[in-house]
Amino acid sequence: MTSFLSRLSLVLAAMLLPVSMVFAAPSYNITFEKANNDIRDKESLQRGAVLFANYCMVCHSAQYMRYNRVARDLGWTDEEVVEKLAYNQRVTVDYMMTFMEDGVSQSKFGIQAPDLSLMARLKGNDYIYTFLRGYYLENEGEWEPAIWNNKVLTGTSMPNVLEGIQKHATPEEFDQVTRDLVNFLDYIAEPNKVERWDLGWKVILFLLVLLLLTYLLKREYWRDVKH
Amino acid sequence: MSDKNTNQTPPGGMLKWLDDRYPLISTWNEHVAQYYAPKNFNFWYFFGSFALLVMVIQFITGIWLTMSYKPSADEAFHSIEYIMRDVEWGWLIRYMHTTGASAFFLVIYLHMTRALLYGSYKKPRELVWLIGMLIFVVLMAEAFMGYMLPWGQMSYWGAQVIISLFSAIPLIGPDLALWIRGDYIISDATLNRFFALHVIAMPLVLVLLVFMHIVALHKVGSNNPDGVEIKKHKDTQGLPLDGIPFHPYYTVKDSFGAVFFLILFAIVVFYMPEGGGHFIEAPNFEPADPLKTPDHIAPVWYFTPFYAILRAVPDKFLGVLAMGASIAVLFAMPWLDRCKVRSIRYRGYSYKLLLTMLAISFVVLGVLGALPSTPLHTKLAQIFTILYFAFFILLPYTSAHEKTKPVPERTT
Amino acid sequence: MSETKTIETVNIKRRQVLAGATGVVGAVGAAFVAVPFLGSWQPSEKAKAAGAPVDADISGLQPGQMMTLSWRGKPVWIVRRTAEMLERLATLDDKLRDPDSNASIQPEYCQNPSRAIKPEYLVVVGICTHLGCAPLYRPAVGSADMAAGWRGGFFCPCHGSSFDLAGRVFRSVPAPTNLEIPPYMYLTETHIRVGEDAESGGQA
Repeated sequence: MTSFLSRLSLVLAAMLLPVSMVFAAPSYNITFEKANNDIRDKESLQRGAVLFANYCMVCHSAQYMRYNRVARDLGWTDEEVVEKLAYNQRVTVDYMMTFMEDGVSQSKFGIQAPDLSLMARLKGNDYIYTFLRGYYLENEGEWEPAIWNNKVLTGTSMPNVLEGIQKHATPEEFDQVTRDLVNFLDYIAEPNKVERWDLGWKVILFLLVLLLLTYLLKREYWRDVKH
Repeated sequence: MSDKNTNQTPPGGMLKWLDDRYPLISTWNEHVAQYYAPKNFNFWYFFGSFALLVMVIQFITGIWLTMSYKPSADEAFHSIEYIMRDVEWGWLIRYMHTTGASAFFLVIYLHMTRALLYGSYKKPRELVWLIGMLIFVVLMAEAFMGYMLPWGQMSYWGAQVIISLFSAIPLIGPDLALWIRGDYIISDATLNRFFALHVIAMPLVLVLLVFMHIVALHKVGSNNPDGVEIKKHKDTQGLPLDGIPFHPYYTVKDSFGAVFFLILFAIVVFYMPEGGGHFIEAPNFEPADPLKTPDHIAPVWYFTPFYAILRAVPDKFLGVLAMGASIAVLFAMPWLDRCKVRSIRYRGYSYKLLLTMLAISFVVLGVLGALPSTPLHTKLAQIFTILYFAFFILLPYTSAHEKTKPVPERTT
Repeated sequence: MSETKTIETVNIKRRQVLAGATGVVGAVGAAFVAVPFLGSWQPSEKAKAAGAPVDADISGLQPGQMMTLSWRGKPVWIVRRTAEMLERLATLDDKLRDPDSNASIQPEYCQNPSRAIKPEYLVVVGICTHLGCAPLYRPAVGSADMAAGWRGGFFCPCHGSSFDLAGRVFRSVPAPTNLEIPPYMYLTETHIRVGEDAESGGQA
């Protein structure tokens, strides 16, 4: 039976090898900074949520997230969440929709600000982290006012909304701000992730017990079979 | 041990009442308790029962997903996120289904490899192989249609590319593609009919074919790693000397295998449901947009070998033809292989070499099919496409002149 | 499995124990597997959101007038009763099936003669306790479209059940119990929240 296990593992490993080779696509020309966020860090998520409500939700929505879900997962009460994230302008069961009126984004920025519910799964945490920190001034000194551009998404329509924080915060504080934001986006992209991680090992542990029993049962019956 | 568990005492009571009206016990005996399988199955023989297990997982999770899924272009994407977030346990059920799709193909590919290793497609098991191939084709259709349902960018553009393949057929092509879509682009109509096929039509066909696959197998009996016929040597009661009743011996063995499989399954479901972007592709987290193609369209991993063959041929129609041929040629295996010896254990070097070449080509094509198209990749894909087909072209000749080793009379 | 020739070499006991243990653990596993599938039939977050408490502004409600809210997809009526209506309620006890609402559904704080927190305002789920139709509001005594002797209240057109203006069911009609009173509370003098009350503090 051990030979079975080792051979099966070998076959599976051989099957996974080519899979690991295809990780790179799609490729970008820059290397992303590592976000190193931790969705188990509730304080970081709470800070990220407030930043998200104050800076991102001016234009963006998280159309699949409800305030009460955020409250439950981040350790707030239903009252706290609408106070902190919506200045009591919303009901707890509401989706986290942008405060901007319909069509304003289109006319002001020429594009509908994309929904951010799934952005972390679409682009990855590191992409967003690098993007948020990737703004630089173009044509500085040549003419006023200089134009913001972004090294991740050249010509992005999104203004550098974190400019104010960046100016007044230390680099460490700015790292924290962007990491908290990415952390919150990571969380809303899959709010069940922590629950999934915490359930998984229990299921696997249970199956290991069953594996042992079925192995003993198999061995017991196969005593009859003479090779 | 051969006469173990042969329950000769006639049943009584409820069981007798039932058995008088329905072939309960005889069916059980014929296909389970007194179905004699070779005693020398090795680990390659687990994959058939794994496939059955995955099918059950897919049916149950699939039925549950339809309870919350909305097959319309406006609602499909939202309904998936609704399942993932708002439905209690919806995320688990959905991840089981997406993981199940990949697991199904992994298991089926290994199951088919087993057949190629031990000659399970050879006389008298040609029909088992042919029905199995039909299952494979139906499964590909089932998976393709299922992949469209989340209505993300990859769902949409993948379907767009695949359905466009039909338009390559001369004369009727464009009309055929239009008819399949039911619209001038992939649309609500396409989604709705694919949903019907995915949840009703294909599963029905699949169940029927799987049933026939097992009936055909039990008619001729299972092959084994030695490729010898266990029915040749029987004891005084007419039971094969190298056979053991499927129940309890293989039921307990397969139970063990099933739990082992479920552990691997759970690892993926709970810790890597996206499979590194291969089981659930990142662009599918963006709703379908008919006006914007994603940067890089790649089919899910289990289609990439065939997709690579398609891209390797620089002509649209010939490419489609080559892709179709790469699957169709597998149907002919029982007749392409003219060697009398079944198992690779006793076959000559030529077959071992050819089969290794086929396996490597398949895997390399699979990798290439997932990568963006570059001149180098195309060149490689062309080489390995040739090698893939070379297996089937060379086989009739080499197998007829193969230097085989002596095959034992009994299993080893 | 019956007796076999290998009985001396086979440890039947051990097999039974192992098979039993595997079976039990396997059955426990199957029960675990059933949890998500059964659980997914519970009201989803969307349904719960739709069932969240609803607030109503009753400042515009005139005496005798009724307004309708939607709570968990069900109609909830708020009726502003006049003093005369309230007086009439007390005279009906002998014609009612459950005058003291002992067999009916209401929060404890509404099990009183007027079936309300403040007698002036009746808050009631507008679904007939017979088979779930929505009764009609006919407050006037002897309403023109009602049978003779109508005492004012609610009339269910499906099977003819009738209720008084506290939602109490009359005798000899099909409906078994009084109309249901939902949990509710006064946020201010003129604002009512249905679906949440001061006692449970949360959703009912």
